[in-house]
Amino acid sequence: MEIKLTINDESKTVEVEPDDDLATVLRQNGYTGVKCGCDSGVCGASKVFVDDEVKMACGVDAPNADGSEIRTIEALGTQDDLHPIQEAFVDHFAVQCGFCIPGMIIEAESLLADTPDPSEAEVREAIDDNLCRCTGYQKPVEAILDAADRMRGEQSVAADGGSQIRPDQADCTDHDGDTNE
Amino acid sequence: MSDEPTDPQTDGGTASKPTSEEPTEFEEHPLEWDEPENNNKAPGERDSVSQPAEKFDDRKLVTGQAKYTADYEERFPDLAHAAVVRSEVPHGRVTAIDTDEAAAMDGVHAVLTPSSDAVPDAKYTSAGQSYPEPSPWDMNVLNEHVRYVGDPVAAVAAEDADTAAEAVDAIDVEYEEYDHVVDPEAAFDEDAPQLFGEDEVENEIVGHDYDRNRMSNIEGEIGDVDGSLDRDDVHVHETEWETIRQSHAQVEKHTSLAYTDEDDRQVLITSTQVPNHTRRQLAHLFDIPIRDIRVKKPRVGGGFGGKQAMVVEPIPLALSLAADRPVIYEASRDEEFYAMRSRHPMQVRARTAVTDDGRIEAIDLYALSNTGAYGSHGMTVAGNVGSKPMPLYSKVPNARFEADIVHTNTPQTGAMRGYGAPQGTLALEGHLDEVARDLDLDPIEFRQDHYMEVGDLDEIAGMMGGEGAERRIRSCGLDECVERGKEAIGWDDLEQPDEDHLHRGIGMALSAQGTGVAGDELGAAQIMMNEDGSFHLQVGGVDIGTGADTAFIQIAAEVLGCDENDIIVKSSDTDNTPFDYGAYASSTTYISGMAVKKAAEDAKERILDWASRMLDESVENLETRDGEVVSEESGDSVTLEDIGYESVYGHDDREHILGKGTHSTEESPPPFAAQFVDVTVDEETGEFEVNELVVAVDCGVAINPGMAEGQVEGANHMSYEMAVSEGVTVDERGRAEVSDFDEYGLPSATETPPIESILVETHEPTGPFGAKSVAEVPTNTVPPALSNAIREAVGVRINEMPVTAEKIKAALDGN
Ligand code: FES
Ligand code: FES
Repeated sequence: MEIKLTINDESKTVEVEPDDDLATVLRQNGYTGVKCGCDSGVCGASKVFVDDEVKMACGVDAPNADGSEIRTIEALGTQDDLHPIQEAFVDHFAVQCGFCIPGMIIEAESLLADTPDPSEAEVREAIDDNLCRCTGYQKPVEAILDAADRMRGEQSVAADGGSQIRPDQADCTDHDGDTNE
Repeated sequence: MSDEPTDPQTDGGTASKPTSEEPTEFEEHPLEWDEPENNNKAPGERDSVSQPAEKFDDRKLVTGQAKYTADYEERFPDLAHAAVVRSEVPHGRVTAIDTDEAAAMDGVHAVLTPSSDAVPDAKYTSAGQSYPEPSPWDMNVLNEHVRYVGDPVAAVAAEDADTAAEAVDAIDVEYEEYDHVVDPEAAFDEDAPQLFGEDEVENEIVGHDYDRNRMSNIEGEIGDVDGSLDRDDVHVHETEWETIRQSHAQVEKHTSLAYTDEDDRQVLITSTQVPNHTRRQLAHLFDIPIRDIRVKKPRVGGGFGGKQAMVVEPIPLALSLAADRPVIYEASRDEEFYAMRSRHPMQVRARTAVTDDGRIEAIDLYALSNTGAYGSHGMTVAGNVGSKPMPLYSKVPNARFEADIVHTNTPQTGAMRGYGAPQGTLALEGHLDEVARDLDLDPIEFRQDHYMEVGDLDEIAGMMGGEGAERRIRSCGLDECVERGKEAIGWDDLEQPDEDHLHRGIGMALSAQGTGVAGDELGAAQIMMNEDGSFHLQVGGVDIGTGADTAFIQIAAEVLGCDENDIIVKSSDTDNTPFDYGAYASSTTYISGMAVKKAAEDAKERILDWASRMLDESVENLETRDGEVVSEESGDSVTLEDIGYESVYGHDDREHILGKGTHSTEESPPPFAAQFVDVTVDEETGEFEVNELVVAVDCGVAINPGMAEGQVEGANHMSYEMAVSEGVTVDERGRAEVSDFDEYGLPSATETPPIESILVETHEPTGPFGAKSVAEVPTNTVPPALSNAIREAVGVRINEMPVTAEKIKAALDGN
């Protein structure tokens, strides 16, 4: 069957099987930033916006998405022009294997749209269903808090180094990386 | 993840303490290391190393552009999808497989059973280790004798994943079921059901006794432990500990894509930590020349040891040969929990002999390791239960370690971050805490009196490995780790909650790991210069999401004096990158990184030679810096770009500037961690809350401090899980009771306490620019530190992981 989707502002007609889930359909259509880490909509890796609401795409039946507007990680920044959340993730070394990261950034975007100045607890609550095996969440939480500051136009509070090499960071013995208080 | 190279019993399994008549062992580990001057740069002199260089793949990762194995699907229009029929019985023999219906289904391209031509019948081990593998060859790609619920029995390839799943459902397997055993102690019993018959194992490992389901027994001793335990001036303490079956739970599932390329060679794009080992193992298994197999690793979504194994690759390869088209196999999350690999659950007994004044005369550890249905990494992981934690206390004169590694009809185990050290560290650090309390000693000073320091010859590390496996300690930041950790957690001024029923306590634990497997590692790299002064760095080292590729770039940039962006790294493609043992044993930065450094130095020598001719200056005056070669003498300079063009298009002389480096070493310096856990316990309910984790790590010089901290925090999170989660529990038929993440206790963001990572810099002269390993040691320490914290807070001891409110409550109630 065919369904109509608006994906990242582009209207598309896509062919789906009745029991396809939205994550599979998006991936088959080239949106491979949508990741799949589990079997049943519990890891958060496949999060996308469906009509402005964050959903785990693997838990959405594709036929039910007919007519909806989808935004995936591919719609945020580009490599040369990162979205502030993406930029903060890079600057804070919040990315390791990266597999969970697109879903986490989508969730962070949704959080910061509603709550521009979140507390650490609110950030943790927001990404509570974005499982990450690599980071222990410490740096992603720091990155999201910093992204909030950046998006509100405040000075970056990154103490974990920026995208530029900073000579004052040369001595790693003074480097405690603690920016969460 | 580390492993021992060979049979540790070749010398009888015990290495006696060296005496003055045996000076050779000391000469192998000289006190003074002949370190090149350029390897030791003061912090202010480093341009790229220990700077927060951007992780080179981050922009791709945060924009969803990075390609993992499954993302290659779109490049193969005729790609078939694999699915696997797995044993539903814990132990038995397949008596019949009916594949007719599946084979006749539309869209099914191949159906394989154990007797199919495309399926190798050779035995092998899935462990991705060096050759000859120190793991038994005890499994088949598809099995007739099945040994756990999850053993692969048949496989299909179909046009899409749904059809493959339907075909799997249509296959009918009949079993003759045998008795099974799930409990490791019961499995060790003489009348227990036996998993392996005669002739069912090749490449057996020392100490095997398959009549009793024992795949291996290992032991090592220095000094005289029994003699010390018998002394009448010592206190003998004995404690017992138990650890969980932990899943690697890497978010990217095991995924592997196999095809035949235009030159009739077999190619695997695969999510692996060990491309070269996988290539060799596939070649042996399928009887294909090594040269005709190519293993390419794209971005990998985490490994943690779960991919230090050829877990899935043979299945898509066999299917692609049978179906004559590309095949991808992506495990389901359910399969990840019941049919991939997990951390060996263990019971560990610790004994010490300690004098009245607090001198430890002997440490004795014994481990019973449950290796599950097969023996991959069984012996080597168990060896590390002793050989990683015990050397920390190198001042202890007598030490012994023994392990029995036992089969049960439960899911397979394998390598996992820490590689036996977490199990041993729980036992040893929990035990020492108990001894210190009993003898009324300060738990930190008690440890400090016995732990290693620079200059020590660590004989305990050699205990299991035989002659020459001792190590000289050349860097040790333990004191500073302890001091800074204490300060960060507030060790000396802990405030108690106002409520009477709440009690707060801090527990601590120390840990040492290794950096690569001493004498059993190889890394290699090459560098090619381009006309524009940029470089291609080709390296076998394997970045599985750790940032290793970025560390390689930084090391090369430091040597070449260029910008990180001018180095294009290509890693882990067996056709196009030099050899490497793979990402395990905390070896990548140290071994592969040193190979990169050597390759860069080799290229630099040629660069300086060209610069010397172009500037008419002697090489001695020249140095690379900021993309140029500069004369310290005249101040004249020439850019790398000018050299790049001149060397390739020169009028008189032409040369492609190439550098190569290969590195192997007998050294394996330990990194160190001091862990502190701050907990509040409710004495009425046993409920507890971990307020903070602090972990201070000596990893030598951190090549990229932000990435190193990330490793420390992620490892500590994994360690925390081992302390508070059930892991993968199994039912009475040995079937994993966890089938997706919502049933598995991976701590979420709200469930994870704040983690403060502290990097303590020391200089390790044997490592590239002073680096040693970082990513495993903080995996070892939370279980003992939490157990010690609970003990401090409310006076009860939890020895069996995970720590739960019920266990605390029961202990408080005296049950
Ligand atoms: S794959 Fe969709 S949430 Fe896990
Ligand atoms: S960065 Fe690897 S799972 Fe989150």
